[in-house]
Amino acid sequence: MSEIITVGVAQIRCSTSPAVLRTILGSCVGICIYDRVKKIGGMAHVLLPTSQKTNPNPEKYADTAIPLLVKELLRQGAKKENLSAKITGGASMFKFGANVLLGQIGDRNIEQTRTELEKLGIAILVEEVGGNMGRVIDFYLEDGRMKVKAGGQEKIYYKV
Amino acid sequence: MDQNIKKQIDAIITNIDRLPPLPEVAGKVINMVNDPDVSFKQVAQEISKNQAMTANILKLCNSAFFSKGKEITSIDRAIVTLGLKEVKDIVFLVAAKPLMVKPVIGYDLAQGDLWTQGLAVATMSRDIAISKKKKELADVVFTGGIIHNVGKVVIALFVQQAFRDILALVQAQNIAFHQAEKEIMGYNHQEIGEKILEKWNFPQVLRSIVRYYQEPGNAPAEHSLAVSIVHIANAICLMGGIGIGSDGLFHEIRDEAIKKVALSQQELEGLFSRVPEILKQIRDIQ
Repeated sequence: MSEIITVGVAQIRCSTSPAVLRTILGSCVGICIYDRVKKIGGMAHVLLPTSQKTNPNPEKYADTAIPLLVKELLRQGAKKENLSAKITGGASMFKFGANVLLGQIGDRNIEQTRTELEKLGIAILVEEVGGNMGRVIDFYLEDGRMKVKAGGQEKIYYKV
Repeated sequence: MDQNIKKQIDAIITNIDRLPPLPEVAGKVINMVNDPDVSFKQVAQEISKNQAMTANILKLCNSAFFSKGKEITSIDRAIVTLGLKEVKDIVFLVAAKPLMVKPVIGYDLAQGDLWTQGLAVATMSRDIAISKKKKELADVVFTGGIIHNVGKVVIALFVQQAFRDILALVQAQNIAFHQAEKEIMGYNHQEIGEKILEKWNFPQVLRSIVRYYQEPGNAPAEHSLAVSIVHIANAICLMGGIGIGSDGLFHEIRDEAIKKVALSQQELEGLFSRVPEILKQIRDIQ
């Protein structure tokens, strides 16, 4: 068995093959970035799209966590040109009142994630986002595959 | 509707022995603290009778979550230092944990998931009550938050059998998961939860929280605020992925609850933003 590293809400974790990074997502977005040559990868689990002055935790927000994740991967020896991303999560509450902007937080997280990855020039190879299901994610650093378990069904994305 | 499942659930809820038990002391203490004729000495005596629980209760009294700094070595001291209501919450935590910490298969919840979600909802509910200057509700929504989805423990086996049908109905009729539970199985987990709390002889407000946390608009008016608070905290914790299971986010956040608690958009987002901090806070009482 490979080591399973749990990535909590508002956390970034990086490791190397054959570790597995695991997280559970509701409206949060999980960003899995992989260097297919060096077999180094990392995951960010972001709660909200953009950072606020009052909260000093950069791992919580897409706009600060994603650059931080990439920086950490490069520091551990990954090469920018080998990196690609898979993103998942961003589910919405099934029904929410007209006055509940928070109901759209999943969509806003997905949007901001795309923007940040584009800014950094990292291609998104897989998007398994939106809907109303919770998701359990396993990101395998031996080959960069991502397993998504939602509503009792599993899907595996191999593209790296 | 699956008549076979409905019959099996009927058989469980009409036979009190088949509903999960709770150490007697918890029900007693919860009712004693609401009784003005009961002295704190009597409460302390009642708790101290149960030696096995007392050790765990004292451990929680000294956890970072509850501690006021001074080391507590007896139930008497605990009541003096932390207050009667806080000690009641702790007794309940110790009593309910063995039941709530188990895996809940039909909902795809691993060991500890339901318990963690209960603690997170309880803590967030308490924070909401305090921030809205409803301190008198703080301990009620804390207890209610821990226990709000206790019915899942009983109904999970049937959900496992009926899961595909429930989910198909959610999507075909655009109804929330708990509504589809009722359509398919004749009952939803809130109704089962209410039966469990009846068996435990818990106060009415806690029964209302368990019964109506998914439909706060139908709660009795006098419990509406407490129910609405737990409704909102539950939705936000699930969105944060805490205790999210096979029913996913097939739930609702109701406008009437937001209005009742008087939360602004900013406050709602602020609560969501606090999910990681709440998880950190409850770590030492898990």
